Amino acid sequence: MLSRIVSVSLSAILAENFIFSRFLGICPFVGVAGCRDTAVGMGLAVTFVMSLASAVCWWVDRLLTALGLAYLQTLAFILVIASLVQFVEMFLRKNIPSLYRSLGIYLPLITTNCAVLGAVLLNAQEGSGFFESVFFGAAAGLGFLLAITLFAEVRERLDYSAECPKCFEGTPISLITAALIALAFMGFRGMKIL
Amino acid sequence: MEEKKLYVSSGPHIRGKESVSSLMLSVLLALLPALLAGVYLFGLRALWVVLVSVGSCELFEWGWCALTHRQNTLRDLSAAVTGLLLGLSLSPTVPLWLPPVGAFFAIVVVKQLYGGLGKNFLNPALAGRCFLFAWAPLMSSWVAPRCADAVSAATPLAVMKTLSLPPESLLSSFLGFKGGCIGEVSAAALLLGAAFLLLRGVIRLRIPLSYLLTVAVLTFLFPRGNERILWMSHQLLSGGLLLGAFFMATDYVTSPTTARGQLLYGVFCGVLTVLIRYFGSYPEGVSFSILIMNLLVWTLDRLHMRRVFGHGKEART
Amino acid sequence: MKLGRIFREGLVKNNPVLSLLLGLCSTMAVTTSLFNGLGMGLSVTVILCCCNVCISLLRRLIPDSVRIAVYVVIIAGFVTVVDLLLQALLPALSESLGVFIPLIVVNCIIIGRAEAFASRASVPEAFADGLSQGLGYTAVLVIMSVVRELLGSGTFGAGVFNGGAGWQLFPEEYACSYLILPFGGFLTLGCLIALVQHLRTRRSSPESREEGGAC
Repeated sequence: MLSRIVSVSLSAILAENFIFSRFLGICPFVGVAGCRDTAVGMGLAVTFVMSLASAVCWWVDRLLTALGLAYLQTLAFILVIASLVQFVEMFLRKNIPSLYRSLGIYLPLITTNCAVLGAVLLNAQEGSGFFESVFFGAAAGLGFLLAITLFAEVRERLDYSAECPKCFEGTPISLITAALIALAFMGFRGMKIL
Repeated sequence: MEEKKLYVSSGPHIRGKESVSSLMLSVLLALLPALLAGVYLFGLRALWVVLVSVGSCELFEWGWCALTHRQNTLRDLSAAVTGLLLGLSLSPTVPLWLPPVGAFFAIVVVKQLYGGLGKNFLNPALAGRCFLFAWAPLMSSWVAPRCADAVSAATPLAVMKTLSLPPESLLSSFLGFKGGCIGEVSAAALLLGAAFLLLRGVIRLRIPLSYLLTVAVLTFLFPRGNERILWMSHQLLSGGLLLGAFFMATDYVTSPTTARGQLLYGVFCGVLTVLIRYFGSYPEGVSFSILIMNLLVWTLDRLHMRRVFGHGKEART
Repeated sequence: MKLGRIFREGLVKNNPVLSLLLGLCSTMAVTTSLFNGLGMGLSVTVILCCCNVCISLLRRLIPDSVRIAVYVVIIAGFVTVVDLLLQALLPALSESLGVFIPLIVVNCIIIGRAEAFASRASVPEAFADGLSQGLGYTAVLVIMSVVRELLGSGTFGAGVFNGGAGWQLFPEEYACSYLILPFGGFLTLGCLIALVQHLRTRRSSPESREEGGAC
């Protein structure tokens, strides 16, 4: 059990990183990773919501299957995620204001982060168990955190030094930077621990 | 009366005699033994691969400078070093159209798009090589050394991937009588070149030593099989480890500048290399682990930057 | 009236992917072959048109405070319909797009257009906007898939032309397999946007710059 969880988590963080291998969560990845602190905040918020959503949606999925309403999966999941985000936001604002101040502004953006819905849908597709789902969600979130932080680090360095051609300035060079990071991450492909 | 001119310039004001081109020339010279060993072991075909690689790197560098109306940077020899490193880390059997593709990626995408030498955040030669892994079947067909009719052979790392020790003796592996990339096979030639660079002060021992030691310790502690020492020695001598540790991980542009940063960089490179060799889908992990650590150079440097006295915590960032 | 202008904006000037950087995940994930790219583009176009029309019709009824939630429900409804239709009619496409069909729900293009345009436009305008944005998205997807399919697997139009077989333009062993992976997605999109920026700066005479400030 433990080894299974470790292997699922490591593969979701490195080998099957949501951004560098599964094409999920790229919009916030490109949009937010302007500076390091924002990136870390966003990554932490995503990790948090993702693990929570994985847990809740596992029960919702069970419920829908029992009721014979499996075709409403997508609709139900997105509603769960949206309300979860809302709920987390309210809870944090009231009870842990310091955490709210650092994560709060990123929370509304997470509803439309396809990494969260993607993780939940993948869990449902795989038919994984409860703990496996939660760990997969958390690990995928950590993978997102790793990717977005690395990207922000590299971009910060490039802001100091790079002098790219006019037409590559801005978005294109960031995308190419992301491509090069993805190339480096290719080393983790197919990595299996066990 | 003679008018004295006062020149005002920004730092650095203390300049050594070394220039970029003389450093690069030393690296080129240091790689010469490895090239000669490769040509001796794999025949003239290997020389062609390396020449095409160097030539196309130079060509793309020149072409880019001409296209963007920049000063021609061929004379700093960095493109030649990239080309030589790329060529040396290819199999002698690759078709001759492959090196130019890697050279294009290395020079144009990895280096020049970011503004040329010193601005790139990945080692161009390594990135070019990793890009060429897209043609995996072409990149990983190996031949036995000193064979006229190109007998295909497995590299020691591919053998070790199946959890058994390679058939070569340690001595022949040290000298280079095994399958592998042109410049990677002969540990003796690589160490000769590395010694030259160390004596000339072009590179320092921190990164290579911490890198190699980490690999040695990890492979000694976690051997596959019973022969710890033999397993460790083969892991150290095989693949691109020596070439990577001495010539690629020490690249000025893409390695940390602080001492502790360099040590950490080497250690992490070693850990990642062993991780990919043991658990990854590629038999060799040196290129990818150095590339991954290239991404963290900025972070490592910032961690150990000296704090300016009188400034708060902010001064570190 | 200004339907023509809406079209021009969606296809070129305010192209959702190239200018607004919306919907990047699906743009990169599905453009591994023309078949996938075209299928995804047209599905999004259909959903975008339906949602825009629906939201424009209901725009006076939706309370402002819960509008985003209502939009999400409307979008998710249409996505589910399209998902089930594809599963029934084009199982091959549904299989190869996989999780990215239900993920259209969180495609920022759709919710972005709902919020920015459809919620305050008449029905024909909203429809035109949906169609033009959808086609603009499809155009980018098609360009990217043609490039990535050609260089990444050496084929053109596999699954679409030539009785589904497509044409093998050069042997697969010469193709750069990495272009089909995320690496290739980032690289191709980066180059495409750079090309667009290049063409724009080249064309940008003083009057077009003024125009650019208006939007």
